[in-house]
Formats: sequence, structure tokens, C-alpha cells
Amino acid sequence: MPSGKSSKAVRNARSVVTSTKPKPWGTVAAVLAVLVFAGGIFYYLFTRYEDRRAYTPTADNRDPSTQIEGVVTQDYGEANRGHVGPDKRVAYDHSPPFGGPHDATWAACNGEVYETAVRNENMVHALEHGAVWITYNPDNVTGPALQSLRDRVQGQNHLMLSPYPGLDSPISLQSWGHQLKLTDPADKRIDQFIQSLRLNQYTYPEIGASCDALTGVFDPAMPPPFVAEPPGPDAVPMNFAGGLDLEPGDGTTPPPGG
Amino acid sequence: MNHTVAETIIETGQGGVGPRSAEAPAGAPRPAARWTRLVVVAGAVLAVLLLGAALGMSLQRGLGAAAQPEGGAVDVGFAQDMSVHHRQAVLMAGLARDRSADPAIRSIAFDIETSQLEQVGRMQGWLSLWNAAPVPTGRYMTWMTDPAMPGMTHGSGPGTAGVATMPGMASPADLERLRASGGTQFDVLFLQLMLRHHQGGVPMATYTAQHAETAQVRNLAEKIVISQGAESEYLAQLITQRGAQPLPPPS
Repeated sequence: MPSGKSSKAVRNARSVVTSTKPKPWGTVAAVLAVLVFAGGIFYYLFTRYEDRRAYTPTADNRDPSTQIEGVVTQDYGEANRGHVGPDKRVAYDHSPPFGGPHDATWAACNGEVYETAVRNENMVHALEHGAVWITYNPDNVTGPALQSLRDRVQGQNHLMLSPYPGLDSPISLQSWGHQLKLTDPADKRIDQFIQSLRLNQYTYPEIGASCDALTGVFDPAMPPPFVAEPPGPDAVPMNFAGGLDLEPGDGTTPPPGG
Repeated sequence: MNHTVAETIIETGQGGVGPRSAEAPAGAPRPAARWTRLVVVAGAVLAVLLLGAALGMSLQRGLGAAAQPEGGAVDVGFAQDMSVHHRQAVLMAGLARDRSADPAIRSIAFDIETSQLEQVGRMQGWLSLWNAAPVPTGRYMTWMTDPAMPGMTHGSGPGTAGVATMPGMASPADLERLRASGGTQFDVLFLQLMLRHHQGGVPMATYTAQHAETAQVRNLAEKIVISQGAESEYLAQLITQRGAQPLPPPS
């Protein structure tokens, strides 16, 4: 305790002792009560306002997810977004993937809760459309924890949930060029990630693209299944940009860099 | 906790001699009363400050929204002209989504149709907030006045005179042919017209990405250049897969 403070307290205390008036603890308590009340209102509004402000993308703060601890980013550039056919596989650089070449058809992503694991190539296309993809390890996340993830996704635009067998953490969040792995379904970084990146006009490539499935082309009730085996040497390389120079999956050695 | 500390101090205070009590002059407010008044006043001031700050925070968003930015000439011109350009892509893509039997064509058509219609919505929203006309009157691309830009060096550089038809637009005869065709012939013609349409939009978007005043407009233009570039590669791939050639790019 600083000595200045204590000597002041001694002085005050002596005054109280020498005074004949009753100690003013009632007044002090009343003042404290008012202060606690005012401080409570301030704190409540401040945290709500701060969270909304801090994680909303703006022209000056284009990627608020940089403030979230643990987010892994990867710049997939302008060109590495070639479309592949339904029989092809892409040699993705992350698991689960969060960018790169993808199937010509995107997975439905308007609050879609997939009960079975879905083919990566379709899910990555949905990320290109501004969706956030929540994955969980079906061995670790069950019961109420899984239900809380379902509740988070159901009825929400540009959010989708699917199991991801063999996932190296209980939960993983993906957005185009961004990934966050976590263990707790109540982790507040989940909301921060979604708020920062879902439909963020500065981070997803195809502004305005849809999350609806085209009838006859993609059926959310029977999505193309996830393939657990790692892709073989005939897989489409990460720098496949489409076009005439390189046919998807023809085994051509990709140009360096990309 | 304060209480116990004070009590301990009181005890030690009683143990010593009390020369300080003699310091308080008679007639002046007793130190205890002064102290109480100070606590009450300071507490009230602090409470008012806290509540004022909270009120200011909740009002700020409303006040901030009142300041409406204006779009510059490039922002307005781009939003108007690109709305027209995009709508023709939406029209052709809608035809292909309905008519083609090929899932690859239907898929890319649906992608183009939904994205570009959404972008038209964005641009129309901006124009409405800027109190500008939703579509341009007269000629197109009159807002592209900087001749040093890519896409403006060859003869089509519109400058202030503008153009009657934007690059890449399908002519009424093109659309007539598209409507009249079927099967693979329809698929190929759609791909060819859409590729040329994508290529034609690039100069406007490139110019806007560098010259618009509003950050959001520049960002959309930039994303259009990148996205339609990737899509063009894919369209070209689909054309060659069907044994055809792309149309000559718009001049």
C-alpha cells in the first residue's frame, strides 16, 4: 500500500474518531451503488458496441479476422481458381481446404446442415461465394455440442456445417483464405470469425454469388460424398487456373510458383 | 475491506497522541462532512460521465449514418453502365440455365446469372443513395476520360464522346440466333457470346478500380476484373472441349 494513501486514511480515520457525527457509510454505499449501476450500463453497451464495431469489415478495416487469435490465412491469389469436373480431385494444401481450384458446382450454403461429409471440391466453391464452412470431427463433437453448432447454422445465410472425418481438432472454421481450429463449441471466436468473414466483400472473390443449389445439378439431400483417401498423382494441382494451357488432371507438371 | 482497514487505523490512531485534532480550526466544516460531500460530488460526476458516454455510443451509429457520401462521376457512370452490361449477361445466362441440357453449362450460367443480378442490385442501391439516375441517358462510357488507361488506347477509347454500344454486348441479331438455336449449337453459341461479353466488361471495371472515389465501388470493380477473368478461362476451356473456337475479342 502506498504510504501517501495510508497517511491520508489515517488522517481521515482520526477525523472520524474525533467527530461526534455518525460515520457516513450509508452515503458512501449509496454513491457506490449509483456508480456500480452507471458503470454496469456503460460496460454492457461498450462491449456490445465494441464487438460489433471491431469485427465488422469496413473500407478502413477490411479484414477484422486479423484480430482473432489463431486464424491461419493463405492468399489464393487471382488465378488459382480453376473449375474442375465432378470426377476430378484437387490436391489441396490444407485440411479441411479453404481455397484453390474447385468443382464447377458449388455446395448449397444457405444455412445448410449436412449430416454426412461432403466432397471438398464442392465445399471450396461455396467458400468462393462468401460462405463460412463449419466442420467438426464426428468422433469428438456429439450430443449437445453438435446441437449447438446446428443451432448456429440453421436458418442462417451463407453458413454451412458438415462432419469432417479425421479432422485434427474438434472444430474447424473455413472462409476463403482463412481457417480457425478450435475445441470449444462455445468459443466466442466462432462468432467473431463469422462476423469478420461471412460475405466480407473484401475477402471473398465472387461478390454477390449465390448459395442456392441449382436443381438437377446439386442436391443438398444427397451431396457428393467426401473422399477420405489422399488424392493421387493425377490430382489437379493447386495452381490450376482453368483455361486451355492445362487440362484438369492430365498429369502435366504445373509451372513453378503460381 | 475498507472497513477493516479503517478500523485498524482507528485503533492505532487512538493509541497515539492526537495533535492533529487540534489542527481543525473551530467553525470550519468538519473534515468528515467535507469528505462525504467530496465523495458524493465525485460519484455523481463520474456517474453522469459514464451514462453520457454510454448514450453517446448508442447514438453514434445513427448520427454516422446521416452523413451520406456522394458518388463521383466515375462511380455513378460505372454503376449505371455496368448495370446495363450485367443485365444482358443475366438475360443470356437465364436462357442457358433454362435451355441447356449440359450440367456444366447450366451450372456456370446459374452462377453468372445470380452473381451479376446481385451486383446490379448493389449498384442500383448506390445510385439510389447518391440521388443519381438508375440508367444512363445517351451514350455509354462517357465517364472514362483518362486516355492513359489500358483498354482505351485502341480505337474504341470512348473518352467524353462515349459509345453507343459497350464492348462485348451481344447484338439483337446475336440474341436472335441464340434463341433460335438448340442442342450443342446453343451451348457453344452461349459460351462464345458470354466469353466475349466478359472480355468487353474488363476495360470499364479496370478503369473504375483505379479511378472511382468510393472504396466499395473500387473494390467491386476490382473483384469483377479478377472473377470474370477466372470465369473467362473456364468459358474458353468449355468452348475448346466442344471443338469450337472463341469469337474474336471485342475491339
